[in-house]
Amino acid sequence: MTTRDDIAFLARRVAWGLAPGQLDKFEAVGTSAYIDALVDPDGAGIAAEPSPWAGFEYTHDQELRQQQGLETLDRWTTHLVKTDRPYENTMAWFWHDHFAVSFQVVKYLPILIDHLDLIRDQGFGDFRELIRSVSTDSAMLVFLDGATSTGQAPNENYGRELLELYTIGIGNYTEDDVAAASVALTGWVVRRRLLGEAQFVPGRHDSTPQLLLGEMVSDVDSVVDAACSHSACAGFIAAKVARFFLGNPSDSVVGRITDRFAASGLDMAVLARDVLDAGLAGESTLQIVAPVPWLVGALKATTAQIEPRIRIGLLRLMGQVPGSPPNVGGFPGASTWLASSATAARFSAANVVARATPDDAAAIRLAADGDWDGLADLFLRPQGFSEATLAALRDLPTNVSTRRGEGALALSLASPDLLVA
Amino acid sequence: MSNKPLSRRTFIGAAGATAGAVAVGRGVWATMLSDSVEQSALIGIGSAPSTTTTLASSGAVPYGDRILVVLEMAGGNDAINTLVPGSGLYKDARRELALPSNELVRLAGTDYTLHPALAPLAPHWDAGSMAAVAGVGLMEQSRSHFKAMDTWWSGSPGTPSQTGWLGRWLDATLEGPNDPLRAIALGGGSRALVGERTLATVVRNPANFSLKTFPNMDTDALIKAFLATAEPLAMSPELAAAQEAIPATLEAVELLASVSGGDDDGAMFGSGSQGGAMTATDLLQTAAGIITLGIGTRVITVGISGFDTHADQLPRHHELLADVGTGLAAFFERLAADGNLDKVMVVTTSEFGRRIQENGSYGTDHGTGGLQFVFGPEVVGGQVVGDLNLANPVDGDLPILVDTRSVYSVALDWLGGPTDEILAGPHDRLGLVA
Repeated sequence: MTTRDDIAFLARRVAWGLAPGQLDKFEAVGTSAYIDALVDPDGAGIAAEPSPWAGFEYTHDQELRQQQGLETLDRWTTHLVKTDRPYENTMAWFWHDHFAVSFQVVKYLPILIDHLDLIRDQGFGDFRELIRSVSTDSAMLVFLDGATSTGQAPNENYGRELLELYTIGIGNYTEDDVAAASVALTGWVVRRRLLGEAQFVPGRHDSTPQLLLGEMVSDVDSVVDAACSHSACAGFIAAKVARFFLGNPSDSVVGRITDRFAASGLDMAVLARDVLDAGLAGESTLQIVAPVPWLVGALKATTAQIEPRIRIGLLRLMGQVPGSPPNVGGFPGASTWLASSATAARFSAANVVARATPDDAAAIRLAADGDWDGLADLFLRPQGFSEATLAALRDLPTNVSTRRGEGALALSLASPDLLVA
Repeated sequence: MSNKPLSRRTFIGAAGATAGAVAVGRGVWATMLSDSVEQSALIGIGSAPSTTTTLASSGAVPYGDRILVVLEMAGGNDAINTLVPGSGLYKDARRELALPSNELVRLAGTDYTLHPALAPLAPHWDAGSMAAVAGVGLMEQSRSHFKAMDTWWSGSPGTPSQTGWLGRWLDATLEGPNDPLRAIALGGGSRALVGERTLATVVRNPANFSLKTFPNMDTDALIKAFLATAEPLAMSPELAAAQEAIPATLEAVELLASVSGGDDDGAMFGSGSQGGAMTATDLLQTAAGIITLGIGTRVITVGISGFDTHADQLPRHHELLADVGTGLAAFFERLAADGNLDKVMVVTTSEFGRRIQENGSYGTDHGTGGLQFVFGPEVVGGQVVGDLNLANPVDGDLPILVDTRSVYSVALDWLGGPTDEILAGPHDRLGLVA
């Protein structure tokens, strides 16, 4: 693997793409400097970035609700394309998939934006703190019904998913643990009149000590501690993060990463670096690219400008809209993006991106010139396109589109090559 | 954007050639499956096709013409508020959520009543073509959505099989290369369809299932080139999988273009940031259109979601069941009008029922014993098999009295089997069919 291959690999998995010229720039600084900048952007002198939703002015106007929802998503996807600190934003996306808070269930935008800021601000630090914050986060209290769960009638929705999906995984707890956690977590409400602020109301809480995973618990802190101190927690999270970035790493690699994550006291920054180091050591398999990373990568490489309504419409067509995971399990897996629906949608979306790519963009010029290796390199495939895609590009009539290069660019974007990273 | 019809000639030959050349390693597919609750398919060079489809048909419709439609209601449908038990314990358990008795739909011959939103189904009950299976589930069932769905989809309790109960039937009856249109998943993929040699077609939203270009593009030439990226297959299994999806997609787009309704451009660039969940009503109309096309489709799954009613259940559940009730009624009307009613069995599924006692959020938490409906010409309708037994709860749940593999057996028998080897049977058919 050359330095260029290594950086292209890291950029595909972590940054979901690069703008024209960036691969040359990062190749010049070298792999270890690039990985340092990804994992510790502060240390590399990359300025902290404001929240994508900074200055967002929410109004209670029902008529503007849809427009404001669109703006929320647009700011998010725009930030994913433009950020110079991709890892913290990709990790925030990982947590969005992990917690799967849905805009369809939680309809009040200010608390959704707070939730997105939370997973972006805390997603790269102490895992236990993240879980503690999420457990009393207004959006989560609404999403999994904590806000209506009382000591008299505990709702098990959050208690169950905290154990099953968020911390230790199925097989490591009993139904009694679910009930115990649910009782101890009662008492939190979301005050709509206070702009969705979460508050603890002692009268709604049942403080009777409960036995959870062998520990006595009676409130949020003790529940979070019991779950995060469980021996399965480090491995559950480390394996999920490793699979997210590496495909299917071996059990021994996941075991090694898990041990270091546990020893660090569940420090996500340690895990984040170990995962990339393992990937560079060849401990990764190819992955199918989901629609959001596919579109981010396409927009970075082509510099295409697409208006927000259409950009989000494309994601909807392809079946992955930020803020809309289909269920509490998050976004579906690789096979979904290979299905007929997703394949047809990718072809249509590729045409939209090619159409919106400016005449002076490198992508259009390379496609018009028939520089297929250059085009593949722009898409972070320095080894070139696959045999089939290369032949299809070569055989494509140059007059397939009235604008030279647009047809070849659309074909390369739609190709199987870009569905695999 | 233009939405040109494809010429089937441009890709049909290549599709066949690709299917013949398939050589995807099983290991990678199995791994991909394991991280996904969505549809997939395993393709491999498998064992010789079974010849069990040659069983003689006992009914008027030959087995080869019969179709199974499975309506998957994801989230865990609340059995008790769908098929309401006559027991007085109902109102004790459901102080906030009990449905007003004067609105419930009476079902002749039983103490049970239907949720008012399911009133459009009552004529089917009266006509004897609809039966209910109550207290249904699989032993060792979990209250986890995902574990429960794995179990339901695979039809194998304990350690769920990687393959689905429908996928195993498709494998067992596959003759020659895979035909992606033999099984179609509408509304999203279904794990039930996952087989080792069978690749199903997944159409999330039939209304915008098309290939679009702009007017300045030679669409046919670009689609032809898109097809060309599928061959030759790459060594990488992941890349090969991405390639294989292309010919199958082009064929499905061509064939389904004639049966999908809705405003295409509106669906693509509609106003919303919403996820765009499809209704049962729309998806079932597409299913009826596929059946009328007569393209050899044997199994259609229709995936709808939203049944996880932990809070504010009454209005949400009403809306969901209204979609199911009117959707199924309209589906049967369309089948009858097209002369297809005798060809189709419909089975509903949901991964679990909900708790007997409501929670404090005007909702219900995950339970175990569930409910299925079965519709079809050979169904012995007008009966509730099993029971929603409120008097003898197990850990606050409805006891599981009926193994869902019994219902699956009835469905696979309808298709011509082989049933018992697929479901590790035999399982009691429960008198659900004549």
